[in-house]
Amino acid sequence: MAKPPIRKPKKKSNPLKTSKIEAIDYKDTALLRKFISDRGKIRARRVTGVSTQQQREIAKAVKNAREMALLPYTSTAR
Amino acid sequence: MRHYEVMVILDPELDERTIAPSLDTFLSVIKKDGGSVEKVDIWGRRRLSFEINKKPEGIYAVIDISAEPASVIELDRQLNLNESVLRTKVLRPVPKKAKAKKSEAKAAAKAAAKKALA
Repeated sequence: MAKPPIRKPKKKSNPLKTSKIEAIDYKDTALLRKFISDRGKIRARRVTGVSTQQQREIAKAVKNAREMALLPYTSTAR
Repeated sequence: MRHYEVMVILDPELDERTIAPSLDTFLSVIKKDGGSVEKVDIWGRRRLSFEINKKPEGIYAVIDISAEPASVIELDRQLNLNESVLRTKVLRPVPKKAKAKKSEAKAAAKAAAKKALA
């Protein structure tokens, strides 16, 4: 019986490292929009490919931006 | 003294010319307590992602302050009492240098550990 081929998940390149961004700021909505889906949800780390620490900073920044109405909590677009 | 960043969303019905003076009157609390206002950045009218108090727009302003914690709390309280302020946010920005130093120190420690092993 043939074994199913073991597929190694391809490692994502860290998008923040490649674009040389050090600081994540809640005011930088253009950057933060890359890390939320079109429904306004924060994208998972396995999708974004950033480090754990960066993901935490991104999540915090998105939440701060939402409080100040810079980013939506939800988008009605369906 | 600490460094703070205050973001304010003001009522869009205000005249944009009156904003700088009215912010100044708010910021007199800081100056009175010996703090200093480093930067006032008025972004101007901007669409909100969702309505706040049934208003679709707001006038954004970002203020950099270095002051005592108590006087910043007082400033925030006074801003929130004002009807023309839709929302405020007070943050302590993370200094960039401290962060860079931390990662540098980490790298140095790693290198040292490697040397010790070799």
